Amino acid sequence: METSKRMSTNSIKLLAGNSHPELAQNIARTLGLRLSNIGVYQYSNQETSVTIGESIRDEDVYIIQTGTGEQEINDFLMELLIIIHACRTASARRITAVIPNFPYARQDKKDKSRAPITAKLVAQMLETAGCDHVITMDLHASQIQGFFHIPVDNLYAEPSVLKYIQHKTDIGNAILVSPDAGGAKRVASLADKLDLNFALIHKERQKANEVSRMVLVGDVTGKSCLLIDDMADTCGTLVKASDTLLEHGAKEVLAIVTHGIFSGSAEQKLKNSKLSRIVCTNTVPVDLDVNILDQIDISPTLAEAIRRLHNGESVSYLFTHAAI
Amino acid sequence: MRKCKVFVGNSHPELGHLVCERLGIEAAPCTLKKFANGETSVQIGVSVRDEDVYVIQSGSPEINDHIMELLILVSACRGGSAKKITAVIPQFPYSKQCKMKKHRGAITARMLANLLIMAGADHVVSMDLHASQMQGFFTKPVDNLYGGPSLGKWIREHVEDYREAVVVSKNPGGTKRVTALADSLKINFAMIHTDRRRSKDLYSQNKDKLQLKQRKQSMLRKNKPIIRPGDFENEEENIILTNGIQTARVIKGHVVDDEYVDDADAIQSDGEGSIGTIGSFDAVDSEDDEEDDEQPEKLITLVGNVQGRTAIILDDMIDRPGSFISAAEHMVKNCGAKEVYVIATHGIFTGDCLEQLEMSDDIHKVVVTNTYPISEERIRKSKKLVIIDVSSIFAECIRRDHYGESISVLFDSLASL
Repeated sequence: METSKRMSTNSIKLLAGNSHPELAQNIARTLGLRLSNIGVYQYSNQETSVTIGESIRDEDVYIIQTGTGEQEINDFLMELLIIIHACRTASARRITAVIPNFPYARQDKKDKSRAPITAKLVAQMLETAGCDHVITMDLHASQIQGFFHIPVDNLYAEPSVLKYIQHKTDIGNAILVSPDAGGAKRVASLADKLDLNFALIHKERQKANEVSRMVLVGDVTGKSCLLIDDMADTCGTLVKASDTLLEHGAKEVLAIVTHGIFSGSAEQKLKNSKLSRIVCTNTVPVDLDVNILDQIDISPTLAEAIRRLHNGESVSYLFTHAAI
Repeated sequence: MRKCKVFVGNSHPELGHLVCERLGIEAAPCTLKKFANGETSVQIGVSVRDEDVYVIQSGSPEINDHIMELLILVSACRGGSAKKITAVIPQFPYSKQCKMKKHRGAITARMLANLLIMAGADHVVSMDLHASQMQGFFTKPVDNLYGGPSLGKWIREHVEDYREAVVVSKNPGGTKRVTALADSLKINFAMIHTDRRRSKDLYSQNKDKLQLKQRKQSMLRKNKPIIRPGDFENEEENIILTNGIQTARVIKGHVVDDEYVDDADAIQSDGEGSIGTIGSFDAVDSEDDEEDDEQPEKLITLVGNVQGRTAIILDDMIDRPGSFISAAEHMVKNCGAKEVYVIATHGIFTGDCLEQLEMSDDIHKVVVTNTYPISEERIRKSKKLVIIDVSSIFAECIRRDHYGESISVLFDSLASL
């Protein structure tokens, strides 16, 4: 932490897109910098236009833009590409895209015939626009790192989540639960570090049109269950999982996710749910009128990653430790 | 098939020729040899101009030589004006290196993908890629065929009373694969988790509780367990059976009971704190590294129930035996499993892996497909090994691809030809 005071600020530039100004402000404040002056407008025909209000020649540029918004996700992506391109043509020395929630990350494989791998396409688009480096958080599948030809630092919210669980939950009586089979690994890793047991829920699809049944593997009777996942979108899975857990005698159910996307009818579902708390990080802006919501601020981790990257220090410390 | 040539590389000629046989064609003549200085030389003995070329090359023990051979073959066909070149790679080499394992780790699988495209491949066919996201490494189309249906078919036909069996994942990372098979067979699944020894206090606490005789394990055992050196009579207390989760200790790859004291134990406990921070740091890393040697003592946990049932351990490849053996031992000795089958798509069997699996009393059968070459001598010597032929799937894929038909039927969970 000593070094952060001596940090050379003469060539770091923080640019923020319109997707998550609050997070960008937090990062800037942590770094002791101000956000560079840029203007992002839309023409009346909805084309995006970018102007960069100060010189970034030979500077180390960081562009903060996350994947969010039911209506605007493509606009924000386009905005990011245009800002990158504008910086490239303005002779920035290095351009790093800080994308806390990588858009289209769930389309990462050909799981059905003729399904597109859109995450790959997004990676190629970023490179084509002129991006030199990417910082992101909790990629849906870490293989997405391999879609890029440029370096990608995939940070983890896990240390912050760990801290949250240790300090703000009933850890003595807790059990970790993965709401689907794919997340078992994530939960097992957390369980190891917290010395907790874990259980697993599996959505069984017996037949195509039959209502899916949830199978619980492991026992949760009388426990305080922590559902862990990388993202909460429509929350259908989480709500159903919490019902299943309560049916099996759980005392209470908390959900902890990294990316709280909460699209569609998520708000309604959460209001009607029996979840006692839903916790997410601020990788995406959350606009949710639900009193059980709690947030973990991960801007220190992103800020520290930017600082270390700029100063040419190792980032791996952040994989195991939460920045303050 | 007109305007079509199939080249068979040296890595797995048996599979290549089986595919050709199924297609009813001869493998195209080519000379693959090595110069005295070790360089690989390829000569194509037939015109490939404007033809649809398929090159069949799998992973093998001489992995780098065969990758080079594949690249040179593809490049030679490109130079020979082939219309379209498809690399058929039943077992994709380096596929375990498909993400950054450690900090600064190389994503070698992506590099190999780039090399293939650069050499001139237009299309890649593989089976059960270690991670399906690997398809995104290529800028050209990739068809990832599934071995699951063939394995499922074998289970239905050969495992007695398979409806009562349980499919088990030997690590949390493979759970998705396991649930897919379990769903298609409509049977139950379970999961095994092996981690570094958690705080010993926690473990002994639980043990005390157990000694309060909440649960008697003796009823679990119908058969008398095999007594091995290091096992005591009171083996029943070797398990913590709390709420369907069974835990036991594993030392040097074998399940032991609580009284077992390892010489290295004292030293180990000193360093435990540091192992905690450096050892496994993220959800991704702890996956399939079988670090048996680095960590002498671990804790093995079964989540699920296999009592009195047949357990089927499923994975995408069998590389090293350690985790399979400890998982099988745990399930048979502590959790009351009837029989344990070890089933995987790719049987790589590095070193004496197959022999070790053979020696384990707890493993009933080892079932793999023929995507990876296994020497005839090993097959002959082994009594537990079963090899399923998947050449028909590759042949059908090549035929359909050549005629421009959809191959999605091959992805169908019921397809096993």
